Amino acid sequence: MENELCYLSITEAAAALSKKTVSSVELTETCLRRIEAVDGQLHSFITLTADHALAQARQADQELRSGKGRGALHGIPIALKDLYMTKGIRTTCHSAVLENWLPDRDATAAMNLTAAGTVLLGKLGMHEFAFGGPSVDAPFPAVRNPWNTAHIPGGSSSGSGAALAAGLCYGALGSDTGGSIRTPASHCGVVGIKPTYGRVSRYGVIPLSWSLDHVGPMARSVEDCALLLQAIAGHDPRDPACADVAVPDFRGTLKDGIQGLRIGVPRTGWFDENLGVAPETEAAFNEAVKILESLGAAIVELDGTPFSVTRKANQTILVCEAYAYHEKTYQETPLKFGASVRRRMLEGAFLSAVDYITAQRARSVLNERICANFARVDVFAVPGAPRPPEAFATMDPNEQNLRPSFTNPFNLTGLPALCFPCGFTEGNLPSGLQIVAPPFEEVTCFRVGYAYEQATDWHQRRPAL
Amino acid sequence: MANEIAIEELRAFAQRIGLTLPDDELQRLLPGVIRAQKQAAELRALLSNSDEPAGIFIASKKNQR
Repeated sequence: MENELCYLSITEAAAALSKKTVSSVELTETCLRRIEAVDGQLHSFITLTADHALAQARQADQELRSGKGRGALHGIPIALKDLYMTKGIRTTCHSAVLENWLPDRDATAAMNLTAAGTVLLGKLGMHEFAFGGPSVDAPFPAVRNPWNTAHIPGGSSSGSGAALAAGLCYGALGSDTGGSIRTPASHCGVVGIKPTYGRVSRYGVIPLSWSLDHVGPMARSVEDCALLLQAIAGHDPRDPACADVAVPDFRGTLKDGIQGLRIGVPRTGWFDENLGVAPETEAAFNEAVKILESLGAAIVELDGTPFSVTRKANQTILVCEAYAYHEKTYQETPLKFGASVRRRMLEGAFLSAVDYITAQRARSVLNERICANFARVDVFAVPGAPRPPEAFATMDPNEQNLRPSFTNPFNLTGLPALCFPCGFTEGNLPSGLQIVAPPFEEVTCFRVGYAYEQATDWHQRRPAL
Repeated sequence: MANEIAIEELRAFAQRIGLTLPDDELQRLLPGVIRAQKQAAELRALLSNSDEPAGIFIASKKNQR
């Protein structure tokens, strides 16, 4: 019963709350007990806000009882990656630099979730400042993968992915500058969307790279992800990059199917880059594409070359902007940063202004080349990650540069990209499929993801913990 | 394309931007800096003179900061 409750989807939990077969306090206590029981193995939470959560849950129950429901997220326990500012609640970015920092305000996305009636369970572990790899020398332990704790959960939103897969919360927020929502979604067997650049306010979210940073939700189903995005999307004048565009009903076309949809696969010149895609990952991807075809989609092979080149521009912009943001802190207290973040960030200090501007010019060119494909196809399909999650013990941080990056191109272009489970390796580690749509067409990503989910049961598998 | 940066140049460059890095840190940093500089240089081949950067200032746009 306990497991059944903690693995309800948000939609199911909302229905149960509405029918009063469960209360928000019960959902919250279930999550807190589960965290107590299993998070010692995973380290997905940095800060647990149990009292705060129970107070919010009691208030939600009272409002629901008196007919003041605020929608499908009311009374639902969620958690935030620890780079969302939360007023009076420690926000660390998984770093010694901010180890005991208490912000004086809430991030807009956090505030929007509170307004929707969610219950905040706590703040989730991540890669330090959303950069580099698992943080082994940070003041908090590295997050582990619930499917096999000897393996990485992917990052940088590692706690968000792990907590969802382990049934510790019903929804979470992550952030994504080069794949930080989609990689942990892929590695942990959950769903995550990096919305279009500007769809969700970044106000109050500690930046990694202003022009590449996206914030977005993660959940255990496509529909839940759409529900969470609905609550946080929209214009916010406090974020200069936030777009003043209409927010559609993200669930409006969820069940419309994909008959006739043209899905582009940019395989040639990309999937075989350097070490290429791991065979097990490519097999899961190919099988997923066949399923989409069987659901009525038309598969179109595309030239992957411009996608492949984006990594160079993405990484150049990222390290320059990251160093620009952290320069003062770095010069004052360099040893407060972990070794891997310190080294990666410093790469930006040694690039020139011309290098940075060249990368921003290349961004325009690559964006045009990649988006030109939308004349021929409606969405792109690519793997969520180039290989299954590595073991901590054998992890090679340089290897990621020798595999194709399936996430970088969509930070550079700002296109919406949804990642959801599409299979498991022989070692029972998840693989993800990514669907990418034209700007502000998240609804199409959700429609494809939902159709795929209805045809498969990967998203219903649970790790043994 | 420019030559790869050497450790002495990296040390001098670091000092110029206000960083005093020990030799072992410089050694660990060097491969990443070489890779980053190589990547940035390779992007130049994509561009023609008519290509503008993605982020541009638009005088009429409010809240441009």
